[in-house]
Parts: sequence; C-alpha cells; structure tokens
Amino acid sequence: MATIVAEGTGQAILEEHHPQTFLRKYMFSTDHKIIAIQFLIYTLFFLMIGGFLAIMMRYQIAWPDQTLPGGGILPESMVASGYMLPEFYNSLVTMHGSIMVFLAIMPMLVGVYANYLIPLQIGADDMAFPRLNMMSFWLMVPAGLLTLASFFVVGGAASSGWTLYAPLSARPDLSGVELGQIYWLLALVLIGLSSILGSVNYITTVINMRAPGMTWFRMPLTVWALFITAILGLLAMPVLSAAGIMLLFDQTIGTTFFLPEGGGQPLLWQHLFWFFGHPEVYILILPAMGFTSEIIAAGSRKPVFGYHAMVWAIISIAFLGFVVWGHHMFQSGMNPMLGLSFTISTLLIAVPSAIKTFNWMGTMWRGNLHFHTAMLFAVGFVAMFAIGGLSGIFMASTPVDIYIHDTYFIVAHIHYVLFGGSLFALFGAIYYWFPKMFGRMMNEKLGKVHFWLTLIFFNLVFFPMHGVGMAGMMRRIYDSSGYAHLQGIQDTNALITFAALGLYASGFLFAFNFFWSMKKGKKAEANPWNATTLEWQTPSPPMHGNWAETPVVYHGPHEFSHPDVEDKDWLAQNERPDVVSPAGGGH
Amino acid sequence: MRSEFLKKVSVLVAAGAMAACGGGDSGGGDPGGDAGGGEAPAAAQVDPATVGTISGTINFAGDSPAPTAIDMSAEADCAAGYGPDGPMSNNVIAANGRLANVFVHLTGVSGGPAPSGSVQLDQENCRYMPHVLGVQVGQNIEITNSDDLLHNINASPTENRGFNISQPRAGITSNQSFPLAEVMVPVRCDVHGWMQAYIGVVDHPYFGVSGPDGSFTIPNVPAGTYTAEAWHEAYGAMSGSVTVTAGGTATLSFDYSSDMAGAHVPLGEPLVIRHGEHGIEVHRGAQD
Repeated sequence: MATIVAEGTGQAILEEHHPQTFLRKYMFSTDHKIIAIQFLIYTLFFLMIGGFLAIMMRYQIAWPDQTLPGGGILPESMVASGYMLPEFYNSLVTMHGSIMVFLAIMPMLVGVYANYLIPLQIGADDMAFPRLNMMSFWLMVPAGLLTLASFFVVGGAASSGWTLYAPLSARPDLSGVELGQIYWLLALVLIGLSSILGSVNYITTVINMRAPGMTWFRMPLTVWALFITAILGLLAMPVLSAAGIMLLFDQTIGTTFFLPEGGGQPLLWQHLFWFFGHPEVYILILPAMGFTSEIIAAGSRKPVFGYHAMVWAIISIAFLGFVVWGHHMFQSGMNPMLGLSFTISTLLIAVPSAIKTFNWMGTMWRGNLHFHTAMLFAVGFVAMFAIGGLSGIFMASTPVDIYIHDTYFIVAHIHYVLFGGSLFALFGAIYYWFPKMFGRMMNEKLGKVHFWLTLIFFNLVFFPMHGVGMAGMMRRIYDSSGYAHLQGIQDTNALITFAALGLYASGFLFAFNFFWSMKKGKKAEANPWNATTLEWQTPSPPMHGNWAETPVVYHGPHEFSHPDVEDKDWLAQNERPDVVSPAGGGH
Repeated sequence: MRSEFLKKVSVLVAAGAMAACGGGDSGGGDPGGDAGGGEAPAAAQVDPATVGTISGTINFAGDSPAPTAIDMSAEADCAAGYGPDGPMSNNVIAANGRLANVFVHLTGVSGGPAPSGSVQLDQENCRYMPHVLGVQVGQNIEITNSDDLLHNINASPTENRGFNISQPRAGITSNQSFPLAEVMVPVRCDVHGWMQAYIGVVDHPYFGVSGPDGSFTIPNVPAGTYTAEAWHEAYGAMSGSVTVTAGGTATLSFDYSSDMAGAHVPLGEPLVIRHGEHGIEVHRGAQD
C-alpha cells in the first residue's frame, strides 16, 4: 500500500491577521473569496432580473392581444392602458440580453470563479492585486445601478438590441431612447474597465503566484480556462470599451463615428462590436468548460481524458475566436470571398470543440459515475452544449445563415450555448464549490429536482425555437400575430411561454436551496467530493490567506483512481509522493 | 456638430433650470415675464374687467393647391373611414378665400393662467385629429389611438426633448408635455408616412388655430398692444399687431396667398449658448 502524506495542510485555522470592521471585512474586502461571494450575490440578483425581463417578453409574444398582468403598476411609458408598448418590449429584449451577458453570466463565470478558484487552485494566498480586485467589483455596482435606473428615465432603457447597432443606437430620434442609451453605455464602459482590471489580475496571478511544483501542465483545467479567458478579456474588452465611448460621443457631443451623415460608418460599429463579441462568446463558455472538466473528472472518479489535448483545445478555441467575428455579419453585404474565409475559420472551431466534447465523454466512459447534482449539471452542459454547437454549424455556413439570420433559430442557438452551456455549468459549479465557499452542503434532493426541472423546461423553451425560427419568426418581433406566415406557430409560442414560466419558477427552488443551505445546510468537510485539486486540501471555508502554509504540488490536477494508490481513489495534488510518483502532468 | 452639442446642452440646462424653479407644470406665475417683449404688457390671472378677445381671420388669395389622394390601401380599415373619393391630403385646406390650420399666438408675452385640463390629439382613420394644435408649456397632451392598428407618435422638436412612442391598438392613451416654448413641434407616424401634425408650444394661453372657415379666437387677453404671429406649414410665418381693450373684441387678420408657397417655414429656432462678458449668454437664432 502506498504511503501518502499530505503536505501543507491540516494545520490549525489561522486567525485573522488583525481585527477588521464589518465594512472592511464584508463590503470593502480585498480577500478574493469575499469578493467572489460579493460577485455571486450580485450576479444571482441580476440573473433573476434578466429572467424576469424574459418572462415579460414571453408573455407578450404568447398573448399579444392581452393586457399584461400587473402592468398597471408600471409607468405609462412601458405599459399604456394595460398593454405593453412596443418600445418597452424593445427595451426588454435589449436589456435582457445585456444584463444576462454583462451583469449575470460573464461576471458569474469570471468575477465569481476566477476570483474564488484561481488563488485556491494554484496555491496562492490571494490575487496579485487585491485592491484592484476590490475595485473591479465596486465598478460593477454603479454599472448595475445605472442599468436599473435606465428603465425609469425619460424615453426608457436602451432599445437597440444588446448588439447596439448604429445608427439606431446613436440617434435618439430613431430609437426614441436617449438617456437610457447613455446610461447603458456608461454602464458598459464601467463593466469594461472592471473586466480589464480583473483580467490583468487573473493573468498576473496565474503567471506569478503559482505554488511550488504547480507547473503549467499541473494546473487544473478550470485555471487554464480562466487564464485563457482572462487573456481574451484583456484583448477584447478594450475594443468594446473604446467603441462604447465612441458611441457615447455620437450620442452626446455630436461626433459621427457611426453615422453616415457626418462621414461615419455604421458598419464600423458592427466590426468593433463583433471583434469583441465573438471572443466574448468564448469568454462565456471557456470557464464553463473548465468547471465541467473538473466536475466530470471528480464525478467519474477518473482523470480527465486527454488533459493536454483539452488545454490545447482551449488555446485553439481562444485563438480562432478572434478570427471569426465576420460570421455575425454575413448579411452586411460583405464580399462573398471574405464571407467564405469566415465560414472556414468558424467551422474550424468545431474541431477543438469536438475534442473537448469527446474527451468529456471519454472521461466518463467506464468511470465510477457519481450523479450528484453538480455532476448532473456538468453532464447536462455537455449535452446542451453539443446541441448549441451543432446549431452553430448551420449559421457558420453563409447560405444557410442568410435564411435563418435574425430569426428565432439564432435565439435557440445562443440560449443552448449560454443557458444550456454556460448556465448549466455555472449551476454545476455553484453546487460543486458551494461547500468550499460557505462550509455547508447544498441540499442534494432539492438540487436534483432543480436539475431535472431545469433540463426539461429549458428544452421545452428553447428546442421549439429552432422550428419557430425556421418558420420565419423574426427574433425581436413584438407581435407576430399580424403575419399570415406566422399564424400557425402561435400555439408553439404559448407552449414556450408556459415552459419559460416553469423554468423561471425552478430558479426559485434553486434560490431557496442556496440561501437555506447557507444557514441550515449540512456542515461540509474540507473535501466532500474526495477531489484532487488544491482548494479541497484546505478547510471549508478556507481561512484568510487560504493556507496554513504554502502547499507544494507533486501531481497533475485530476489523479483519480490512480493504480498505485490503493486505499482511496484520489490523489491530492499536494500529497507527498514518498512512494508513489505518478508522471508529472496529466494523462 | 457643434450646434448639435450646444442644442443638447441648452435643453439640459433649460430643463434643469425649470426643475430648479419648480416650473414645467404651467405657463403661469410670472406676470412680469422675461421673454424680452419690451413694451408688451404682463399677463396675469384673468380679471374679466381687464381682458378682451381677439377675433381674427386668415385670408387666402389665389388658387389653393388641389388635394392629392393618399394611398391607404395597406390600411383598409382606415381607408374605409373616408368617402367615395378616399382619403385626401390635408396639409393645405383653403376654401372661399380662407385658410385653415394656421397657428396664431401672441409673442413677447409669458405667464397667464395655468392650463386647465389636457389637450387631445387623436389618431383616427390614420390621421391626426386635429392636424394643428396649440398647448401651453407643461400642459398635458393626451394622445389617443382610435384605430385598431399600430401607430407611433414621433415628435421631433428642436428645443424640447423629443419622444417616439407607439400605440399598438385602439384605446391606448399616452400623456406627454413639453417644458419649453417652441413653435412648432412636428409630429409624425413612421408607419404611415402621410400622418403629420404640428404642435405649437407657448408659455402663455394666448393662441388659437384657424378653423375650416379661416377664423380663430383668442379669449381673455389682457388689455394692451401685442405682436401676433401666424404660422402655416406650407406658407410660412407672418406677424401683425393688435390692440386689445378691456371688455372689447379686437380684430386681427393675416393675408396669405398662393404666391407664398415654398416660403421658409420656421420650426423652432435653436438656442445658442456662448460665453460672454457676464458669463453664459443664451439667445435664439443662428450662431455668431
């Protein structure tokens, strides 16, 4: 039997270095774990808001000739005589997408988990720049307030779509929105700054603060994914921020960067936006892939199949993600040869994506599967992401895209990637790392009910949208009932809305479980999943500074069911190899 | 570009100033006025012993343009609301030597009684009713859709903040107002290109719109001598003088003619802000 001695853990929990006030400890903390929890509460709130906007949209789509229940409490600029106004619907469409992308999913993936996991998984005591880290959260607060306030200013919230296409976004006389658009652009600039600061921090931390022995190819795939994501963010967010400032200038001081009447180019906005926008898609999915790899390996009690291939797939996806933005613009009149090049580069992304998908399946193959809630969501991610990825191939092809462009097909696709993909993985991550964050387990029964309800309702909402889109329903249409060719899909729209209500309701089950477990959940051990990465080798929750003493890393990140270890099916990264010394790195 | 910026700043400054003064809900409360009217008398609360009425006529000489047919075939429900000739253009309604839809208002006056109630602007058979209307600064305009189809109401003023709202079905009403005086504010429906209305916004109650017989009436005007301005969407603006006596009815007429077709039609003059000797100066008209 192998003798394994854990190193760098098992010490008494360190007390705080010095007493801290409540404000300093929980509000203006520089501890990466507290900041991550701040981001988590923040993003869950905006997830609920974004979902609520979607429910209002769905009601309008399903029953356009009915008054909006409870609409009377909303201002007349939103609901007049009981009916939702088209411009409010446009604001809902715009702000649902904007809030979900910029205030919910992206900061949840990165703000929460890059913050929480990077130092813990690489064996660092905190981020490289703790004050910048705090600033990156607190920049999000005014951004969120501006976003919420924009609904209640004259003209309402931004309504030019989350893509903010000019000239609609640049000319209030076209959209009817002036202040709301300005508020959202200001928020966007703050979010961009927050994201850039965060990215600098994550990159620096990963490069400089890895524990002894934590070589690049001993890093958990979550860290790899978050590291590459941070590089994407650092390269892409400044482009959006600059474009947002230019658009703000067009709105407020009379420049015409994107307005043809002054010599500007509306198409320039599309290029700048999508040069950011497509890497953004990978910012939204790569961390999810990292979490999934981690959870599936622990849930299958097997090492990640093809660790190195997984790392290179992440890098390849990130690189290719920068040269495919034109596939969002096939309808912009671009040269067909240019379109072809974007088609080819887009199709190429299927290769690393397929590598990852097959490797997840390879990881599960003949594994000792443990279907706890986190694992269910991770497996759900793989299935849903596969559907989203496959529908993406349709749109990568120019001739097909021209037909389905701006229809509900694209709505179905993006939600299979962002909800079925990112959010499923995030739910998995929350269930998986909750015990580490709060020292308590989430309720498994409620978690499994939440998973199955989410899986069923999610598919009932979004799978029919493929058909609705192919039937020709426009993606941002306020009332499709007036179109003869769309009369036949109205029942499907009603079904989708009922399912959306179920999906939203199941979110409250999750919320109850989350907050209830925080106080009443079963106490968590340091390593409830018998996992291998460093964060599980310190108490739950970790103390200030994370470690009693800096851990030393001897193994790759996912050493499950190692043949030389007999008394258990996992080998922590920092377990001293007195007898056993598996070849460093992954498999 | 620069003037655009100045315009936006001026609107924000003016709106802020109004908010600071608690204004915006009426045109009253400042008998002295500050509109630069020079000799113009101050308007005040109505005292029947001190006010008179202006009764006027808008004359029109020459041939009026023949109305043109509007193609409303895309909106059969609207088209059905018209007679056998179908809907005809209504931008110029001149008959029997009289011109309708001329907005007449006194200049150099501010204040006066606060507006009472709302002004109605209806959309009926895909047309704004009325075509030309006047309101006081801050007065509520109740916009109604009587057609069971989608209209949008796109107001594009020069000095006020514009709005662009939709009313997707019959029975919906929306309420809007303008915080700054502006003659005139064009209003259009982008769905139905023929739909056009004009709103005259003044900071006093002394205005009227000529009816189909070319007549208009401005009641309860304090005694004094005034300059009045008439505005028509096709034939432009002109001014005249009128003296009102207490308890009397003063007559005022404006003479338009077909020769004036194509005249410059002012739609609000921009505010210009500049740094002068005594700080920021604001005046109307072209930039120096």
